[in-house]
Amino acid sequence: MNAVTPMKTWKTPILRLFFFALGAIPPLQNDLKNLSFIHFARWVIVRRTQFPVLSETQPREQLKYDYLIFFSNFNGTWNQYIDAFSAVLARGLNVIWRWSEKFPGSRPVTGFKRYITLVQFDTDYYYNAYPRAATNDVKAALRVHDALRDFARSSQQISPAEFDTAWRQLLVRVQPDLGSTGVAPVGT
Amino acid sequence: MSSIDVSDIQGFALKGYNFPYARYLLMELLQPEPARTFITGLLASKITTGERWDEKPLTTLNVAFTFNGLLKLELPMASLISFPLEFQQGMKARSEILYDTGRNAPQHWEAAWRENRVDMWVAVNANTPEALEDRCAEVEALANATGGARVAQSQPACAIFIDGKASPKEHFGYTDGFGNPDFQGAERGCVPGQGKLTAEGNWEALATGEFLLGYADEAGELPVAPIPHLLARNGTFMVYRKLHQNVASFRAYLNEKGATYPGGKEKLASKFVGRWRDGTPIELSPDRPQPSLVNDPDRHTNFTYADDPRGERCPLGAHIRRANPRDAFGFNGQLVNRRRIMRRGLTYGDYVPDGEPVSDTDERGVIFMALNASLFRQFEFIQQQWIEYGNDSHQGNDKDPLIANHGGHGKFVVQGTMDPLNPPFVCAGLPNFVELRGGDYFFVPSLTALQMIAAGSIDPR
Amino acid sequence: MSNTNGQIYGLTILSPIVQDHVLDISHAIELRQYLATLPQDHTSPFSILDSTHMARLVVMDDVVYVGAPACEEHLKSRYLVFETNFDGDLDTYLSRMAAEIGDVVDSVWKHCVGYPGVTDTGAFIAYMKRCQIDTTFFFADVNDHTVKENLKALQVQSALAHFIAHHQGLPPAELQRAFGQLLCSLDKAPLPPPGGLPSEKTPAEDRPHE
Repeated sequence: MNAVTPMKTWKTPILRLFFFALGAIPPLQNDLKNLSFIHFARWVIVRRTQFPVLSETQPREQLKYDYLIFFSNFNGTWNQYIDAFSAVLARGLNVIWRWSEKFPGSRPVTGFKRYITLVQFDTDYYYNAYPRAATNDVKAALRVHDALRDFARSSQQISPAEFDTAWRQLLVRVQPDLGSTGVAPVGT
Repeated sequence: MSSIDVSDIQGFALKGYNFPYARYLLMELLQPEPARTFITGLLASKITTGERWDEKPLTTLNVAFTFNGLLKLELPMASLISFPLEFQQGMKARSEILYDTGRNAPQHWEAAWRENRVDMWVAVNANTPEALEDRCAEVEALANATGGARVAQSQPACAIFIDGKASPKEHFGYTDGFGNPDFQGAERGCVPGQGKLTAEGNWEALATGEFLLGYADEAGELPVAPIPHLLARNGTFMVYRKLHQNVASFRAYLNEKGATYPGGKEKLASKFVGRWRDGTPIELSPDRPQPSLVNDPDRHTNFTYADDPRGERCPLGAHIRRANPRDAFGFNGQLVNRRRIMRRGLTYGDYVPDGEPVSDTDERGVIFMALNASLFRQFEFIQQQWIEYGNDSHQGNDKDPLIANHGGHGKFVVQGTMDPLNPPFVCAGLPNFVELRGGDYFFVPSLTALQMIAAGSIDPR
Repeated sequence: MSNTNGQIYGLTILSPIVQDHVLDISHAIELRQYLATLPQDHTSPFSILDSTHMARLVVMDDVVYVGAPACEEHLKSRYLVFETNFDGDLDTYLSRMAAEIGDVVDSVWKHCVGYPGVTDTGAFIAYMKRCQIDTTFFFADVNDHTVKENLKALQVQSALAHFIAHHQGLPPAELQRAFGQLLCSLDKAPLPPPGGLPSEKTPAEDRPHE
């Protein structure tokens, strides 16, 4: 998802400060990780004078507002994603977007969805190195990989009986992480 | 926190009637004027509301409409287009989204559903087969006399009787009916575990607006609803799905896997669902069923998954854990509160006790009905994201073991421990134990709205 | 202002698109048409540039008027937005872009103002850095594994889950032997290509997770 929102220029430094704090003290980051459906997300402030100029003949932008651009790579449907944000991250989202003009707040969710629909723009080309894996799948796979590596090392020269017990221990270790990967459901 | 007007709401939206016999008359509406007269007649014969009963009536009567039905009744266009998209499209058009493909695809549905002939659902519940017959005859006589409707399909349903008594069992042998959500304003007392979790770990009723239109919902607003306000208020949406059960396949699979599962067949059966077949929740009692627990309303639904993050007691992909994750996603259950549905189903077909010969082709299963303020956000979400997909339960693309559309390749991981009677165990090659035979989305109007529909007096302004 | 999270670099590039009012088809439209033809699976240019976890290319036409009392304003140019999340450092990534997928880079960026081409790597890198906007806040859930490590892990997970399901209840000696074979085959198995195989694509998969 991509979204661009205008900000009055005097509000921009305040937002930067909040981002700095969020980076330094990560309660929002913990919630994002626990929600576990975003691979990568970023917020980019483009100040009104910061749009790149690459030639003399290129018209320069003359803008009143600074702009906050948001990109996210997420799993699930758009509605699920916004519902979860609104239900669980409302405070954090408000802190980020309240500086954008006409942001209605992330609760109640209907107004929030309407605003996002207004400010979002479509992607023309998207690439995902592991398209059949959700974030949960990647995390689970990494755990399984490590568990198998450990097991392979420690089970080199043991008797079948010992192997049997060790194998059961491996299963118990990896058992929550054995879901299949595949195509995710589409929204509507 | 509003008090709700129970006399305006159709009764089954507020409580299960607990009658053992039912028939769903799935009706096709004919010309608008006679159809409206038919509805007027039904109103006169007493549509059952949520009013408290001093004495249980002999029968109940309720109605609901598909979008096609409302179209035929000539509701104003502005009202019609204000209904949610998924309701307008109907369940058949949304089969891809719902994973109703392969054997569950609409081309395999019963004719009335396949051909979109169902405009109206008229449900009669009764205590005796005779009372049922009489009330249904009244309804059909009214339909004939007014020329307003005809029966496209007549679907009988009845509880499974064991030892001469109506039981809450379904055909796979599980005791059903636990876990319906508590919401504010509903008359019955809160059963711990049925509502939502508070920050302190107590159970509280959910917002009324999750199940009835016109009331505040869990998101702190009035749910999106059709216009005008009077048309929507005190109404709700219902999904109806005729779920055929392949009892032979289920028993064969359970016998085969149960023979190799160290905990035994009954325990494996309990892992599929999250309850022993008598209803004991395995989260509370993983090693054996406990009748005293099942019969205690303060305990039989009163549990969370916080102490079982690895699925050692109740597998991460078990049916009830998928359908209602409670606190399993963290955040105090907040990601779950807007995904609850109110179930009102009943079994159909002859019951065959375990051990006796049974066939997958026999007509038996469950008429699944669920009520919610938003089909898209509640029922469809659960179906698509939690039953037919497993990412939120951290089970990747694995599906619900019991009811999902596996197509023969499904797998279900039973998480376990080092206890030899509770080992990790994988059930592979899952077939479809349940098949969809048809259904649709319905709008369940309030009594006020029903009168307006019958009078043709809806004004969307 | 961090462009990195763990060992992942988050690059945001805004390249102004050439405006030429004489052309029949504008640069923006032609660019969009080209992007629509780029494959998204293992034949994608980003599969070659295999340190890329996820990337997108977007033609940003304008900013949005959110309604009164906000003021209405418009951008004078359209911008090509390139948002990418990759392993390693920026200079290496940009050099590889020029060296390994130069023709695709040309086809995309030829529509942009001041684009110098890829023959002079230094000039290309300088151009991209002029278009770079610093990321203000970058979130990466899994930030400590490369694309290759993730792909390998997914391969291992799938193989192990399959093995467990199909070797259940075997006597220990047999299980141990079979497991030895599993390890061998996993060692020898080629890494799955980034971007996914086309045979895995179904109609429903057309929408990416974005």
